[in-house]
Amino acid sequence: MTPLRRVAASPQGDHAGGPAKPVPRRVLATALPVLPLLFLAVVLAAPVLRLLAEGLAPAQDAEPLRWLDVWQDEFLRWRVVWSFAQAAITCVLALLLGLPIAWVLARLDFPGRTLALRLLMLPFVVPTLVAALGVLALWGPRGLLGAPLAGAGIDLHDTPWLLLYGNLFFNLCVVVRAGVDALEQVSAARVAAARSLGATPWRAFWRVEWPAIAPWLASALCLVFLYCFAGFGLALVLGGQRYATAEVEIYTLVAHELELGRASVLAVWMLALTGTVALAYAAIERRLAAPGRVVPVLRQRPSGPVQWAALCGAMALLAVVCAAPLLAIVWQGGCALLVGQGAAVLAEPDTLAALWNTLRFSATALVCATGLGLLHALGVRALDAAAQARNAGPAPGALALLWRAAAFLPFVVSSVTVAFGLLLLYPQASASLVLLIAAYVLLAYPFVAKSLAAALDGLPASLAQAAATLGARPWRVFWRVTLPLVAPALRRGMAFAAATALGEFAVTLFLARPEWTTLSTLIYQHLGRPGQANLDAALVLSGLLMLLALGAFALIEGRPRDPHRHA
Amino acid sequence: MLELRDISKQWDHRPLLAGVNLRAAAGETMALLGASGSGKSTLLKIAAGLEAPERGSVWFDGQDITALPPERRGFALMFQDFALFPHLCVQDNVAFGLVEQGVRKAAAREQAREMLARFGLADHAMARVWTLSGGEQQRVALARALITRPRALLLDEPFSALDTALRGQLRDEFRDRITDAGICALLVTHDEAEARAMAQRAWALEGGRLVPRW
Repeated sequence: MTPLRRVAASPQGDHAGGPAKPVPRRVLATALPVLPLLFLAVVLAAPVLRLLAEGLAPAQDAEPLRWLDVWQDEFLRWRVVWSFAQAAITCVLALLLGLPIAWVLARLDFPGRTLALRLLMLPFVVPTLVAALGVLALWGPRGLLGAPLAGAGIDLHDTPWLLLYGNLFFNLCVVVRAGVDALEQVSAARVAAARSLGATPWRAFWRVEWPAIAPWLASALCLVFLYCFAGFGLALVLGGQRYATAEVEIYTLVAHELELGRASVLAVWMLALTGTVALAYAAIERRLAAPGRVVPVLRQRPSGPVQWAALCGAMALLAVVCAAPLLAIVWQGGCALLVGQGAAVLAEPDTLAALWNTLRFSATALVCATGLGLLHALGVRALDAAAQARNAGPAPGALALLWRAAAFLPFVVSSVTVAFGLLLLYPQASASLVLLIAAYVLLAYPFVAKSLAAALDGLPASLAQAAATLGARPWRVFWRVTLPLVAPALRRGMAFAAATALGEFAVTLFLARPEWTTLSTLIYQHLGRPGQANLDAALVLSGLLMLLALGAFALIEGRPRDPHRHA
Repeated sequence: MLELRDISKQWDHRPLLAGVNLRAAAGETMALLGASGSGKSTLLKIAAGLEAPERGSVWFDGQDITALPPERRGFALMFQDFALFPHLCVQDNVAFGLVEQGVRKAAAREQAREMLARFGLADHAMARVWTLSGGEQQRVALARALITRPRALLLDEPFSALDTALRGQLRDEFRDRITDAGICALLVTHDEAEARAMAQRAWALEGGRLVPRW
């Protein structure tokens, strides 16, 4: 039969009536966040503070600056106002288009639904510069649709439409996915109750479903606003002279005009505005209830002309906004490769060097990001547990909440701000590979941390407790129970981190030496040179980078499966 | 013998357990009754080492085990939601504790299959746990707990997720198996009939203190 369980000898001392000894492993657990905290302090907080200092008190030999200069200078004011406006317009468009699509995906059952949901992940994975090229390949002066339009006298170049379209490409899926998730959290019983009390389907949606999903949509729209407001690559390529954003202006001021003071003041304003939106996001997120186990509204086969029209319309919208730019890249890149002048670029030493740089920077960043993300997420869990034990109550501690929010910081601070701050704080290391990789890690690791933290939140505490009472030590509990159960989330976070690193553009543009050119920056170099050959080369390289990002994502994420099949 | 001495604990800044004393001898099943939120499960987790008391101590066979982590106490805890590991098959769930005791995986699986056969679950050894019915899952949870030959069995509302007919059938089966194992058992439940069917003695947790029932 089984051997008797090995039970350690009793510790010395009588605890009767006295306070219980604290469990030392709790102290160890709360030490988990130390490394990510140090990393965030050195690579994010310190550079941002340095940037603030530069903006507040420029060097004595520089032209004195005032805070309101940004608003008194018509050019800079337009940049900030336009940055705000294009983000706000994108939010409105994403909501108007995204909500009906989300409703169709959440409420109708049709062949290809799962594929459609999966394809919605694509824009998250596609590098910014590839998306920008995709928009140009479709709507640009030589694009598949842009050329005929130009022939008809409609030139979209140097109009706001290209940037708004690019923004929608990236962000429509954010709203759609949030909408689908939210609609699937609406209890079928509540909708049924409303219907039985006399509400029409539309009234039931308006009075029961909308109040339930509105906070989720608001949260998604905050993200959309942040992505657009602090976006760089799309605005750089698609904005042109007039519709570039403030982030592009910061880059121009630093890289081309060497006006660090003006750039700092502008960056501080942008930081203040993104910080305000981020606070709104955090406030909304706190109000969102954790998804419970509800019986969702059953999806039904489309019936009637209205539902079929809604389905066809939703799929057509997704195809036009999310799929068309990628298909345009494939088509135009294929043409450039097979019949154009693009094939030669693949064999050029610069391309091979850029490919090698892209792969090695991304691989290194992915390894570091995985380690940091793991520590960050486990730190969230440990701080939550410690706070609950300390407070003897269900409320999470302020420290745990702050640490959870810290994983979002790299999303709030734009890549341009981070790169600029790093340049200011560590000028002697500005051409250092360590700094460049650290910036990559900063942008990639929150994906791992957030994905893992969410998975850990969803894990019933009883599983780890059962393992512990069955004799598993903490690291064995982690290895045998926790890690296998959160592995899909870990892989997904790593897949996003890899895609982010592979497509990184802004930081590389700021911090890389010429010999560290990556595929992204090489594409940008080709775009900046005149001639069809360079455009062909950019298209071919974009296709290559897209394949690389999608391949890495698919390889790391693996076969999708239902991650929450608990007993 | 499992002893809880003067256990006190607050929850959400309110006293939950106020100087609880309890003794359960080997071969004895003790029931803990009480309303939801009365602290029954917390007391069980303190006994298991999953939560620390603010005051008081836990003893087993004359040894103070208050500071021992749960994996070194030699107790088995059965959860309301069964807490079966969804990434492992039935056999590996049952073998889990043996592997942690240092038994080689092949031998542990062999013993798990024997145990499953005794529980009438031999055909389900390779099944995923979520494919089992509630009653089967409950039996797997008990097999997983008993295979390690625990010194005490702690049961946290083990039948609350089951329907009435199955509950009656399983509690008789559980009572016999626990008696066969000859270990002390602490049963947390809010169902007095269930307590009467399974336990020799019962206490109720009221206002943070234990009140004898029978």
